Amino acid sequence: MRHRLRAVVRLVPLMLLTAGIAPPLNAAELAVPPIQYREHTLANGLQVISVEDHASPTVTVQVWYHVGSKDDPAGRSGFAHLFEHLMFKSTAHMHAEQMDRLTEDVGGANNASTGDDITNYYEVIPANYLRTLLWAEAERLSNLNVDEKNFTSERAVVEEEYRQSVLANPYGKLFNSIDPHSYTVHPYRRPTIGSIEDLESASLADVIAFHKTFYRPDNATLIVAGDFDPKQLDAWVDEYFGRIPKPATPVPQVTTQEPQRTADRRYTETSPTAPLPAIAMTWLIPPARSPDTIPLQVAAALLSQGDSSRLYQALVYRTQIAQQAGADVDGRVGPGLFTAYAILASGHQPAEAEKVLRDEIARLADQPIPEAELAKVKTQLLTEELERRQTPMGLAFALGQATLTEGDPARVNTDLAALQKVSAADVQRVLHQYVTGAHSVTIDYLPQPKTAPANRQGATK
Amino acid sequence: MSRVIHCLALAALITGSFACSAAAADFPTTPPAPGPAPALNIPSPVRQVLPNGLEVISVRRADLPLVTARLLIRRGGEMDPPKLAGLASLTANLLTKGAAGRTAPQIAADAEALGGSLDAYAGWDQSSVGITVTTPKLDAALALLADVVRQPTFAPDELARARKQAADDLELLLSQPTALASLASSRAVFGEGAYGHPRGGTPASLKRVTRADVLKLHDELYRPDNAILVMTGDITPGQALSLAQRRFGDWAKPATALPSPAAANGHPTLPALLVIDQPGGGQAGVVAAHAAPRRDDARFYVGTVANAVLGGSYSARLNEEIRIKRGLSYGANSSFDPRRDGGLWLASAQTKNPSAVQVVQLMQGEFDRLGKTPVAAAELAARKATLVGAYGRSLETTAGLARRVGELAVYGVDLDEVGRYVDAVEAVTPAQIEGYARAYLGPAGRHVVVVGDASVFAAAMHRAYPQSRQISKKMLDLDSANLEASGHGSH
Repeated sequence: MRHRLRAVVRLVPLMLLTAGIAPPLNAAELAVPPIQYREHTLANGLQVISVEDHASPTVTVQVWYHVGSKDDPAGRSGFAHLFEHLMFKSTAHMHAEQMDRLTEDVGGANNASTGDDITNYYEVIPANYLRTLLWAEAERLSNLNVDEKNFTSERAVVEEEYRQSVLANPYGKLFNSIDPHSYTVHPYRRPTIGSIEDLESASLADVIAFHKTFYRPDNATLIVAGDFDPKQLDAWVDEYFGRIPKPATPVPQVTTQEPQRTADRRYTETSPTAPLPAIAMTWLIPPARSPDTIPLQVAAALLSQGDSSRLYQALVYRTQIAQQAGADVDGRVGPGLFTAYAILASGHQPAEAEKVLRDEIARLADQPIPEAELAKVKTQLLTEELERRQTPMGLAFALGQATLTEGDPARVNTDLAALQKVSAADVQRVLHQYVTGAHSVTIDYLPQPKTAPANRQGATK
Repeated sequence: MSRVIHCLALAALITGSFACSAAAADFPTTPPAPGPAPALNIPSPVRQVLPNGLEVISVRRADLPLVTARLLIRRGGEMDPPKLAGLASLTANLLTKGAAGRTAPQIAADAEALGGSLDAYAGWDQSSVGITVTTPKLDAALALLADVVRQPTFAPDELARARKQAADDLELLLSQPTALASLASSRAVFGEGAYGHPRGGTPASLKRVTRADVLKLHDELYRPDNAILVMTGDITPGQALSLAQRRFGDWAKPATALPSPAAANGHPTLPALLVIDQPGGGQAGVVAAHAAPRRDDARFYVGTVANAVLGGSYSARLNEEIRIKRGLSYGANSSFDPRRDGGLWLASAQTKNPSAVQVVQLMQGEFDRLGKTPVAAAELAARKATLVGAYGRSLETTAGLARRVGELAVYGVDLDEVGRYVDAVEAVTPAQIEGYARAYLGPAGRHVVVVGDASVFAAAMHRAYPQSRQISKKMLDLDSANLEASGHGSH
């Protein structure tokens, strides 16, 4: 049941905690070693980060670009993501889908994803293919060469991705409407997947311009994790990436400032296929590099990590108002979002869930937080991080998120240390500052079935 | 700068493509060749048995201080009695909702304080509950696992809550076109047989399940001689045995015999192509299904490789034809799911409603092609490599290891098979795949289900497949082998 997630996935998953030195949970019990990564920057501006892990004979090669849907050209929402798909088509020296030949066909795998700030491309391959894939990534960074036929066919795929994730997914329209309703002026307000109309307006000329503007060594981070020899890696990186010139022009940066909210806002979205109503609420939070990100993550975990969490207990278990409920820190390079949502249980309405969501957040912000509960979420987050670090892919993603979203690879080893120090007072301070003391955007999501014409109800024969 | 403009102009004039080369002229024009292939690290499972019959399987992979523990029962949704679809699933789900004097919230808090969470579910041929924790928390996690498996409360208010949640889950599932088409295709393949019903229950069956039903199923199936405890990660066989003995050693084996499941295969009564109309559906979900041979069939690896060729990965044929060549879907794939007594082949894709008919045709064409022409050597080698690579990576995590080993143990397959997988895959020949496809994947045994906004494609579907039948999602009765509520049939 594998679908390739060439995708509009937020690069920051539900519970971002980019690894680190975990001071022993309980001094005698467990010490987690730091990720021993190496970092340097080539003369052309390419940042190179690597970490050895010889547990299995595989290696991951990843290139993370500082470009995302916030950089979509005007009138071209969804373009950064469409472009990501085109990076799997031909280059000067590779035919379309040759990346699949160099990965899947030799026992590896590849994928890519686009978020608001970041587009990343990643392969995992048997360790003996490291050199081949370094060449291939350097090749598509410098020599992309897409033709009209591939462009048109891949754009159709992206339109199907839009239909699958937004139209056919019963809650797709809700989650796709969060950014447009949450930001007023920042380009984050454009959904990463875009719209069919804007995708249809895109042209091959846009592709050329976008590649030239953003796909350059000084706007990228190469990450290699797994079974490799560091000396050999460095030599190959120099050989294939070192020769790519650094353009003289600066990389365009988004400078738009999202203003603080001055009032609560409310919107309604409808769905022809969703069986149950839902509600989502958002608040603006500072960029992910802020030290407040970690206590906000602890707040979200207290609210929604696992069946013992406060929202699950209040909404799903005790009152049975909701079928699912959650809270999330969506940390970004610019202003992020703290979100809370619920999909209602049958027989219940969004207003009931909203009251409980707000009450639970207020209770967390204002009433004492038991020490044991705080210790519980720290243990959960640490265990989750250890699970993630079992694979080269997990290690590289931890490094990529620390480097690009939080702005510093060292965060991979300092975030968990910071986590261990988070106090109940920290959690309550950030909730007061960004959530209970700030303005919310609320989206009600209501089923609105389309009725079939009477003559279509029966058989076609 | 001028160089880029030059290549733009060329692109516009000649080919409609562009080549903006930023790299120096001596950049190598062909991919560097790989070095010598590394050997896969395949750990060895160790199987031990307690006097009460509990199998204890451990696999050591001690890179990080983590262990996955999973207790498996060798029966699942196929044991649901007629009219009680969802019973095994509710039973597994309720294990963690109260046990040994602890309430559901207490158990969740206990498990999560250990850093993991208990996940319990019933599949086909198995039910299980598992948790991943750091090594120091393992003994406490096993104590919890033993409580929920051996002494569940099955409190009436928890049953009521679980039934309502299952009913809402089902509504959610049925609103997704491919999920609904897959459920319907199981009915199409197995009819009223034990694998035919929705394992999560139906709106009507969920209302019928009583506490007595749950207790009876638990008594009959959850017993040490029908169970396997798998532990993978930072643990030795000696530790595994002593921990298992401490938490499960006094679990008594009943004298009664284990009940047998009903026959897996019933009589299919659905047409070869069924359309379920979902007005307003944003895409059509297209599914094609076939009955598969049993897990212990000698051609297991032929089926595995055939699936890799047909739709097991991005570069496999279904995705190549439907997505890559034609842009008709975000992804098309297939799965091969052999079970204790039969099995299921399933291909699926979601496409815009207007292209539903074309995707049905392409999907059928790919099943047919497998039985008509031998797979070319290069294609076969590539798909085997994909399979072997994914297999190796699945062994990299404690949870992945537990899943692989658990799958073998549930079906009683020799655990050394873990180390023989690669050779078995490599040994499959094009002729074997062709023969297999002719035997199992021909047009005669095929069941196609399309769920979508039929107002868009019904006429075209009827022209292409005059024998197809359409029903309305509103009239769907999942309890019925022909999926239709009596009195509302279409003609």
